[in-house]
Amino acid sequence: MPLVDYQTEMERCSQCTYCEWIPFDQMKSWRFAKGCPSISYNRFLSYSARGRLGVALSLLKGRSTYTDKVLDIVYKCQTCGSCDVSCKVCRYNLEPLETILQLRATLVEDGQVLPQHTEVINSLSKEHNTMLKPKAERGKWAEGLDVKRLTTDKAEVVFHAGCHYSYDEELQKVARTAVTLLKNAGVDIGIMGEEEGCCGGRVFQMGYREEFTRSAESNIEAWTKAGVKKVVTSCSDCYYAFKRLYPNRVGSNFEVLHTVEYIDQLIKEGKLKLTKTIPMTITYHDPCHLGRQGEPYLPWDGKEKKIRNQIVVYEPRKPRYNGAWGIYDPPRDVLKSIPGIELVEMERIREYAWCCGAGGGVREAYPEFSNWTATERIEEAKTTGAEAIVSACPWCERNFIDAINTMGDGMKVFDVVELVQQAI
Amino acid sequence: MTGKKEELAGIVGETNVLDEPETLEAYSQDQSFSLPIKPRFVVKPKNAEEVQGVVKWANETSTPLVPVSSGPPHFNGDTVPSVPEAVIVDLSGMKRIIGIDRRNRSAQIEPGVTYPQLQQELAKEGLMIPTPLLPRANKSVVASLLERQPTLIPKYLWTTLEPLRGVQVTWGNGDTLPPGGGQVDFNRIVAAAQGSMGIAIMGMVRCQILPKIHKLFFVPSSRLDNLIDFLYGVLRFRFGDQLLILNSWSLASILGSGADQIEALMEKLPPWVVLVGIGGRDTLPEESVDFQEKDISDIAQKFGLSLVPAIPGARKGQMQEAILNPSKEPYWKLGHKGGCQDIFFITTLDKTPEFVKVMYSLAEQYKYPISDIGVYIQPVHQGASCHCEFSLPYDPNNSAEVVKMKELFTKASEELLRQGAFYSRPYGIWANMAYNRDAQATIVLKKIKEIFDPNYVMNPGKLCF
Amino acid sequence: MALLREQYQALEDIVGPDYISDDPALLDSYSYPMVATSNHLGPFYGVYTPQGAAVVLPGSTEEVQAIVKICNKYRIKYKACASFWSGMGFPSFDNVLQLDMRRMDRILEIDEKNMFAIIEPRVIAATLQAEAMKVGLNTHIAGSGTSCSILASATGYAGFGPSGLFMGSHGDNMLGLEWVMPNGDLMRTGTLGSGIGWFYGEGPGPSVRALARGGMGTMGTMGVSTKCAVKLYPWPGPTHIPVEGTIPAYQAMLPDNFRVYTLAFSTWQGWADAAYRIWDTGIGYAAHRQFNMFGRDLKFGMIKVLTDPTKTLGDIDEILEDPEAQKITKEMQRDFQFVLVGMTPRDIEWQDKALDKILADTGGWKVEVMKDDPVLRNWSLLYFLKMGHKNLNMVYTGSYDGCFGGFGGPPDRGIKCVEEAAKFKKDWEDTYDTIVAAGGDCMMGSIGGSGGGGGVTWECFTCWDPYDKKSSEGAFEFHEATYKYAAEHNMGSGMERRFAHARGSDGYALPREQIRKLFSASPMSSIYRYQQKIKEVFNPNDLGDAYYSTLDEPKK
Repeated sequence: MPLVDYQTEMERCSQCTYCEWIPFDQMKSWRFAKGCPSISYNRFLSYSARGRLGVALSLLKGRSTYTDKVLDIVYKCQTCGSCDVSCKVCRYNLEPLETILQLRATLVEDGQVLPQHTEVINSLSKEHNTMLKPKAERGKWAEGLDVKRLTTDKAEVVFHAGCHYSYDEELQKVARTAVTLLKNAGVDIGIMGEEEGCCGGRVFQMGYREEFTRSAESNIEAWTKAGVKKVVTSCSDCYYAFKRLYPNRVGSNFEVLHTVEYIDQLIKEGKLKLTKTIPMTITYHDPCHLGRQGEPYLPWDGKEKKIRNQIVVYEPRKPRYNGAWGIYDPPRDVLKSIPGIELVEMERIREYAWCCGAGGGVREAYPEFSNWTATERIEEAKTTGAEAIVSACPWCERNFIDAINTMGDGMKVFDVVELVQQAI
Repeated sequence: MTGKKEELAGIVGETNVLDEPETLEAYSQDQSFSLPIKPRFVVKPKNAEEVQGVVKWANETSTPLVPVSSGPPHFNGDTVPSVPEAVIVDLSGMKRIIGIDRRNRSAQIEPGVTYPQLQQELAKEGLMIPTPLLPRANKSVVASLLERQPTLIPKYLWTTLEPLRGVQVTWGNGDTLPPGGGQVDFNRIVAAAQGSMGIAIMGMVRCQILPKIHKLFFVPSSRLDNLIDFLYGVLRFRFGDQLLILNSWSLASILGSGADQIEALMEKLPPWVVLVGIGGRDTLPEESVDFQEKDISDIAQKFGLSLVPAIPGARKGQMQEAILNPSKEPYWKLGHKGGCQDIFFITTLDKTPEFVKVMYSLAEQYKYPISDIGVYIQPVHQGASCHCEFSLPYDPNNSAEVVKMKELFTKASEELLRQGAFYSRPYGIWANMAYNRDAQATIVLKKIKEIFDPNYVMNPGKLCF
Repeated sequence: MALLREQYQALEDIVGPDYISDDPALLDSYSYPMVATSNHLGPFYGVYTPQGAAVVLPGSTEEVQAIVKICNKYRIKYKACASFWSGMGFPSFDNVLQLDMRRMDRILEIDEKNMFAIIEPRVIAATLQAEAMKVGLNTHIAGSGTSCSILASATGYAGFGPSGLFMGSHGDNMLGLEWVMPNGDLMRTGTLGSGIGWFYGEGPGPSVRALARGGMGTMGTMGVSTKCAVKLYPWPGPTHIPVEGTIPAYQAMLPDNFRVYTLAFSTWQGWADAAYRIWDTGIGYAAHRQFNMFGRDLKFGMIKVLTDPTKTLGDIDEILEDPEAQKITKEMQRDFQFVLVGMTPRDIEWQDKALDKILADTGGWKVEVMKDDPVLRNWSLLYFLKMGHKNLNMVYTGSYDGCFGGFGGPPDRGIKCVEEAAKFKKDWEDTYDTIVAAGGDCMMGSIGGSGGGGGVTWECFTCWDPYDKKSSEGAFEFHEATYKYAAEHNMGSGMERRFAHARGSDGYALPREQIRKLFSASPMSSIYRYQQKIKEVFNPNDLGDAYYSTLDEPKK
């Protein structure tokens, strides 16, 4: 949909700036009241969802043109969706996040791009990954792993490592652990290895719709050929792409699970038993794309209508996507089932969790802002007294590790599956 | 008649222009140490139009005006002239209770309406207003509240002017604005102005329901600091009606009369007492009093104190009757020695014990008996701040005592200021002290004065004017 | 029109390059749509407030002072705003410097014993409340809700809200104030000016704060307030409100000394009598006719939507088809919501018993489903204690404003007008399709006014689609009609045109001549003349706008 189709959103914005904050009902302190990293860091009103909608309208109406400032406003946003959640506590007919994403796509269409993003797109195009690394090295994370390669074999479940786990040497162990865990639990699972392609999720967030579509179509074709019915991943960005973007944008019928969901199922079915004690106090960080953006996809092809003269509703009823049904409990249930683990919660959790800072192309283009966002999260984690912050996404984990290094702090970072592995 | 007298007579009527020497003498001084300066005339307007007429006349003739609404004795120096040739505008004759609205619990009154007068009429409607501590029977309600004299029930003090919710003023330039305001709080411009901005011609007060049941309890202690946290606890829950701390001198002066009786009572009374009034009103009054009594008692116990219905030295019901009524004659503070100087200021409740120490230490320095110092601590503004008052009785007919009292009063005022006392009502020597500390307020107030009293007719020599 | 380079540089030298911008798109995002919300004029479709000359974000009082002095030097009008949620915070002329106060967002201190907090302009009620609750205190929250600046409420606007009967209004709650006056001088009021502390905002002698606000605030037209102390109130609850439930149906899980009721009455007289009795008795922590803002016909349906995370607006009609829902809707016709908070177990028992007595005496009752259904009850309780859902004012369409409202004050007055006003709106809703048909009576308002109670407000909600020109223009016509009707029928001056003197249909300030004409005929004309005098003395370079009401004589 072109930007003009979102003029309704721009003009129906309440101007309340709830999008800056976490839902007020959940506020427990001044320190951790904010929800939007962008306006918290960049300060001008324009950096909130409300502000971006105002900028979008200004561009649409020709009252202003693209400037460095406009690009800064549009791209200095992790597209984390916190604004969307807070807005929708009260609003039932507004889509701030969608509008923000469309604004991005419009800028990209108009050639208003950042050189750092262009680099990523070039890497995607040539090397099929967003990490600026050679395609040939993609499969290295799985070297020596005894698991089906779906380029030559078939399996019901594909484990998609994702660009980050594929190339981040420090975090590769998470992917290895995940796929091994699932295989040992009896799952008929395989990987694409070197032939795995980027999910396209990150570039979609950056505004590159065509590139996303190409990635998506390529993946779907590969999985179909391999007889895959289910896609499992440990990367929350990939999870979101497969679960929400693929069916919506290109059409796809695969069942999509995050590793933590699968492990949760296996534990509850008695197929995975965790018996070793890990005496540790931890806190869990909800990745944006597993949590509030990890809700099930519900197809909708409808239109707006008005009832009672002017109340804006949709026919048929439109899915809300307000973070209510994200994946919050499975990772927590998994962690709580590990003997010795004490889980303490941060103030901002679940649908109102603070972003790790990596998403939306921010880590690539604005490393300082990305790092600041992660540092804020680590500060919040420290207030719980936890020894470690645990998450379910390599982008979150990498950003936290980097932030902790910058801070010179001693907090540990784990993925859920690492602790599960230790507890087996 | 002289020209001026004739002109004034034309406004207020001949019988309401007074210039007999005894009369002028009486209006020239009060119980403060202000230098007596005789006014030229005393006028007694009967209504708002006459007030406006007098103010306009004052502007035309550049005559200073000194408004006064209460009857004597006065104590603060604000109602006596600071410059010669002034005209006293005595509003005590404007005694109309314009209206009482029981439903909306409001009363509109003229400036000469006194506390007993108003309370009596309000009681007929089942209403009352909180009062200061034993006001004089001739004390003007409007003047008292406009000067931010604290009242006894902190929970009703939503603002520092409560229960005064509005006032209509004839300003120093002769204009009278309609009641209510816009984006400027005209009430606050005339508040604590000692008549230097304008003359209040009508006040609107917010009334409370007259309790069907009222009990007075006491929380005694040998030490003031033991009582502070207890009082904070009660303030926080907003229980009780009257809440104040008195020391034995203040209690004795209220309960007794004459030096002998007062001094004898001081021996019996506890050194410090929190007075806790509890009122039950129209809805479930007995149960209201009952639960508050129990809860306040629990709070007291938490701090090792007891809520008791009586204190030694006071007959049953005696104290309650005293605080629910105006002062007997002579004014209760004068009962001990015939004269009294008060030092009062705003602070916070937790700082009051320190101020008491400062006052006692100074008294010792000046060989003034500590036991003679009256202390009255009144939480105001629902506990956000606190009125702290020291009463220093002395014999005004004993010249040596007068000299010593002047010195002690001045030094104590200075030292208390240095320790953080805030003279929000800067009478007499406190004015320079207060305004020397706050140059910006001085500048701004002078500019405000230029707007509302450009010819400086209103009570010149007061505040920073 | 832009700032001159030298002017921009002077400002940049104060705040640094990161905190000033005159980028056109950024400035446009700081323009407020005059078709939106609670402007109390218009609505004007397709109109925005004038673009500022630049936006500057000061980080300290010193920076604010320096900025104001620069503005005086160059005669640049300026407008400071914290929450940016209503047209009054935005420029009214071209070339106005917009101050965005969001960097000054600290809670400097909470004095637990004396129950007050010291705050900067961008401290919102939500964050102050969160910190206050940690020490057993709470803050009053103005009717605009918890996302709004408390200092702005205290100095800039009205400051009334549902908790007013227990916690007063923000104007009354303000203690010491630090204020950069219009000429750049720094004023600190009361004890603050004497260097003693923040606890008392008056004196010495008369209160200078009289210039900083009256019954209504100055709406950013007279200098910039940079800090203030505000009174806090007891909170006999946990250090934060435990919340359960799936978004948006969050619920407060609080102990039994927290109770919320929807009270309903068989007659308006009973309704008014109960309000008076509640004030006379001195019970209640918050009181508001809140849910009626959704409309008499729709409110229960909306409550069901909001408390069920699977429901959307499109489900309202289906919900209201249920005979039980219709019965409750009818039952709640003359209602208001009421929160009791007991400081102790005995206190809450007595308060509740007293409430039962009042209801028995006034023909009222507690609506059963709202108290017995734990989801509805706990959701309501959270709603009132947090006031975090004020965006629901805009739930239908993205826009709303209040009309009528001139019969606020003593309840006896309002109840005489409410049905007539409701009928007028219902007839309009039925005749034209331009505003939401919610059942006529959409009147929301506080049952209290200021501390101890005494007044009720009747803000009749009108909702229109700000994207839809016909709807927006229809809402304008409706407000013209309601304003006229109220004037002709002795219903007082409606709130839908409260600021019509300050800004015209082009989003700019009205011409001076037009304002003179309006104000000369007003019963407040003498007050406006004095405000003019005050402006001449304290804001001699006239750097504010017409939101400060003044009546001047035309220059000869």
